[in-house]
Amino acid sequence: MAAFSTTDTIVAVATPPGRGGIGLVRLSGPAAEPIVRRLTRRTSFRPRYATFARLADTVAIDAVDPEDDVTAPARIVDHVVVTWFAAPHSFTGEDVVEIGAHGSPVLLQRIVELAMAAGARLAEPGEFTLRAHLNGRLDLVQAEAIADLVDAVTPLQARAAMDQLEGTLTDAIGRVDAALFDLTAKLEASLDFPEEGFHFITRADAAAEMASVRATLASLVAEGRAGRVVREGRLVVVTGAPNAGKSSLFNALIGASRAIVTDVPGTTRDLLSERVDVGGVPITLVDTAGVREARDVVEAEGVRRALEAQTVAAVIVEVVDGSAPLPAARDGGGDGVTDRATSATPRITVVSKVDRPRAWPNAVFGDAADDVVETSVVSGVGIDALRRRILSALTSRDEWRDTPAVTNLRHVAQLDTAHASVERAAQELDVGATEELVLAGLSDAREALEAITGVRAPDDLLRHIFSRFCIGK
Amino acid sequence: MSFDVVVIGAGHAGCEAAWAAARLGCRVGLCTLSADTVALMPCNPAIGGTAKGHLVREIDALGGLMARAIDATGIQFKLLNRSRGPAVWSPRAQADKRRYGAWMRDALEREPNITWLFRRAGRIMTAGGRVTGLAFEDGESVACKAIVVTTGTFLNGLIHVGDEQRPAGRAGEPPSCDLATSIREIGFVMGRLKTGTPPRLGRRSIDFSVFTEEPGDNPIVPFSFLTTRIERPQVACHLVYTSDRVHEIVRRSIDRSPLYNGRIQGIGPRYCPSLEDKVMRFPDKARHQIFLEPEGVDVDEIYVNGLSMSLPRDVQEDVVHALPGLEHAAILRHAYAVEYDFVQPTELHRSLETKRLPGLFLAGQINGTSGYEEAAAQGLMAGLNAARIVRGEDAIVLGRDEAYVGILIDDLVTRGCLEPYRMFTSRAEHRLLLRIDNADVRLTPVGRRAGLVDDDRWRLFEARMERLDRNRARAATTRVIVDGRRVTVEQALAQPPVTLDDVRGGGFELDVDPDRAHLDVATIEAELRYRGYLRRHAADVARARAQEARAIPVHFEYHGIPGLSREVVERLSDIRPETIGQAARVPGVTPAAVAIVAARVARGVSA
Repeated sequence: MAAFSTTDTIVAVATPPGRGGIGLVRLSGPAAEPIVRRLTRRTSFRPRYATFARLADTVAIDAVDPEDDVTAPARIVDHVVVTWFAAPHSFTGEDVVEIGAHGSPVLLQRIVELAMAAGARLAEPGEFTLRAHLNGRLDLVQAEAIADLVDAVTPLQARAAMDQLEGTLTDAIGRVDAALFDLTAKLEASLDFPEEGFHFITRADAAAEMASVRATLASLVAEGRAGRVVREGRLVVVTGAPNAGKSSLFNALIGASRAIVTDVPGTTRDLLSERVDVGGVPITLVDTAGVREARDVVEAEGVRRALEAQTVAAVIVEVVDGSAPLPAARDGGGDGVTDRATSATPRITVVSKVDRPRAWPNAVFGDAADDVVETSVVSGVGIDALRRRILSALTSRDEWRDTPAVTNLRHVAQLDTAHASVERAAQELDVGATEELVLAGLSDAREALEAITGVRAPDDLLRHIFSRFCIGK
Repeated sequence: MSFDVVVIGAGHAGCEAAWAAARLGCRVGLCTLSADTVALMPCNPAIGGTAKGHLVREIDALGGLMARAIDATGIQFKLLNRSRGPAVWSPRAQADKRRYGAWMRDALEREPNITWLFRRAGRIMTAGGRVTGLAFEDGESVACKAIVVTTGTFLNGLIHVGDEQRPAGRAGEPPSCDLATSIREIGFVMGRLKTGTPPRLGRRSIDFSVFTEEPGDNPIVPFSFLTTRIERPQVACHLVYTSDRVHEIVRRSIDRSPLYNGRIQGIGPRYCPSLEDKVMRFPDKARHQIFLEPEGVDVDEIYVNGLSMSLPRDVQEDVVHALPGLEHAAILRHAYAVEYDFVQPTELHRSLETKRLPGLFLAGQINGTSGYEEAAAQGLMAGLNAARIVRGEDAIVLGRDEAYVGILIDDLVTRGCLEPYRMFTSRAEHRLLLRIDNADVRLTPVGRRAGLVDDDRWRLFEARMERLDRNRARAATTRVIVDGRRVTVEQALAQPPVTLDDVRGGGFELDVDPDRAHLDVATIEAELRYRGYLRRHAADVARARAQEARAIPVHFEYHGIPGLSREVVERLSDIRPETIGQAARVPGVTPAAVAIVAARVARGVSA
């Protein structure tokens, strides 16, 4: 719906998230420098010089809420290094301030929140790059890379599958969004069709519906604040037939025994993920259920998630058991069920268990035979080679994409707005306000959620009403 | 013969268009087939309803005719949603159909700038890529600088009753085929829609004793800001329900419905489901409401609201006679479905002028809308803008935060139509701002500047603004006691259970015009009740207005702009949004794409 402004000041975590080391928060726009002055309580910065500073938790001090103790001394968030790049000599061509802090995602998120409280707006995915482009700071080739960002701007659509993988954020937001949409449709219907002779929803049902939506939103916000929905690193998904040795390989790559390994096919029923460094690049390694016709609903769900995971994987590691007969469908290159990864996703074929007698030669892979990595978790052979292959596959990928952490921070901010709006709507309902006032709050909430889930057209609402109720004369 | 503006069609769009252009001093030719069908209501004999009532108030505030016509000829008035807040109150009235048409014809006849052309329009004449005149089917022609086409369902109209099909614009009237060809040849993207109307029954053949009587309001809240009171005798409508027997008849005969056997291709309105749809799509619903609405005080015809269908005549007889009280009802006219051509409204500028042919304006059902009110609103704006373009002035475009009329036109030209478009209050982003009580506050100054608002209306408006200002000041300073606390009226009404009635008498007096007290009270009550919301959204409204103020040059080139996807380039090149705000509403255009375009426009470069 709304176009985002190109004249205000934006903020986001700028470094690819990883544990340890230094993280960078970047601000760009006319108020970037004054905001950081305020956060650090300094009177000035010298352009292009790195300055050591203490960053204070200013929110409590400036809070208007009388509940807060305004006399409390500012809490120091972190010791940081601040660098001010004055316009136009900066990445975006605007005033840019970079805050280097210790790299914990929760800490970086807090710095971003402080900057937002001081007047910055959370950057949309790709917005720094976009501004650089708008100010002529990128050449044509780089600018063309923005096309991707433009298309990835409704973040959840781009990231939905990844979050589903974790089974938390998207599912929950999707459910809240659907509940809110349905509630809105019923209240709208009673306004637009007053002559239908029935109410579409009672006040009590509307109140109950809103209470449940509020509770879900509150827990999502809390989870977000705790940093639990912050996911780091790009996804490397391990896939293959049941009992191909995926979990053993997963454990070998993370250097720990996290996945339960047995000889029973179908042992891994859900997704396991772990953050690992591969040659200095942080990745999230995901172990999936073996893809086969599932024997029960739990396994079926695991298989579904395994397939979902492939759609967002940066790299797919496909494991084939070298000591067992090839699965029938293997010759086509597929994995026996549905191949959900895009053809553009780099794929590494691993032949596992090479310590055992081979059941078939690598020649079955035809032209790709030379690219196969042979591994054995028993002897340790091939594990380092696989790490190198993963690294080279990752670094060949598009550098411009925003990190999921940034996206999730956006989610938390939107969820927070949605929660406050539903609360206001519930209060209106509680004191006996009529539908149009309740809907004013709900529509604010939906707008916030739609920034995550993608915007619905007004016609979608009407369509929903007409598909459920026979109304109109 | 020559005119400034020729209006084709004298339905609800055409009448307002001719009136607006004439009020601005243009010489107007109003081309229609017969004086007997001016402002005809071929379907429901009623004006208004939710959101539609808002449109009528807005037409009135701008200086149009519809509200005064219904106030003068209405036979049953109701303010819908009265139990809810003032933002969603909406007037509706049954019209005495014949008197309504006659009132409108008289109003137009008294306007000296209008010349009636009782002819059949044939071909739009052009030279140098502009409209130069209109040729009639008989070969004669008139010269003009602009044409407003308001042909309703007449473009290649095809009526269905069961297996019967006949080309017709409305029952018994031949369609416009030459004009349809002429419009098609301009190269517009066109489509086909469907609508329908129920049977009409003879009043004397109905046993009214078995029905629930549905009376109107007393006192009446009029549509027009000018109307003080309505004294015409009011009539009742009657409510009856469909039954299993009716549903069974429909199910048994469904193969004979052209809606269900594939003969009708056009897309119908979902919010006016045919009887076939009600029975087949909602099998769980045991009964449906049917309203019996008189078409006038002294006419025999009764409109059977809720029973539109395309079933054959014998099935219609069975359906009607299966209803209680209608066992012996005489069907004066059978229900029918009608398919007609429409021009995809993305072919239009926001002025309602076509992008392909300067000087040609379209309004009403030809743009994919349904409803008399939607048609009239477009007609008024098309007539107004046709006159302004003839006079070399810029078009007037109403914003989405300014009027439902603005939302209507913006939705049409930005999103296009896939089915007949009807206004709903849920289409408004700032619903609490766009109320019937403040339509004059929002729009009468616009109408005055445009030349549509005469001195009498303007004097009334100014007096009302003075009263409103006094009432606002009193609300801010008068203190009343609520729950033992002394607070201003403004603060008191911010606590929802407190209403204006609670504080009036408690020391708070309103300054009202006794003839228009309902307006004065409603406006101050709404402003106080919605105060918190309106304040919170002031920033949104300001931001939206800023985006609307940023114009995109007419020939802005989207091809070759780095960072825009091909799909976005195609959409924007097709719609050609006039402002950055409109660009952001084009389906499929992302915020980042809008930012790229905005920056290009700001720097005066394209590609």
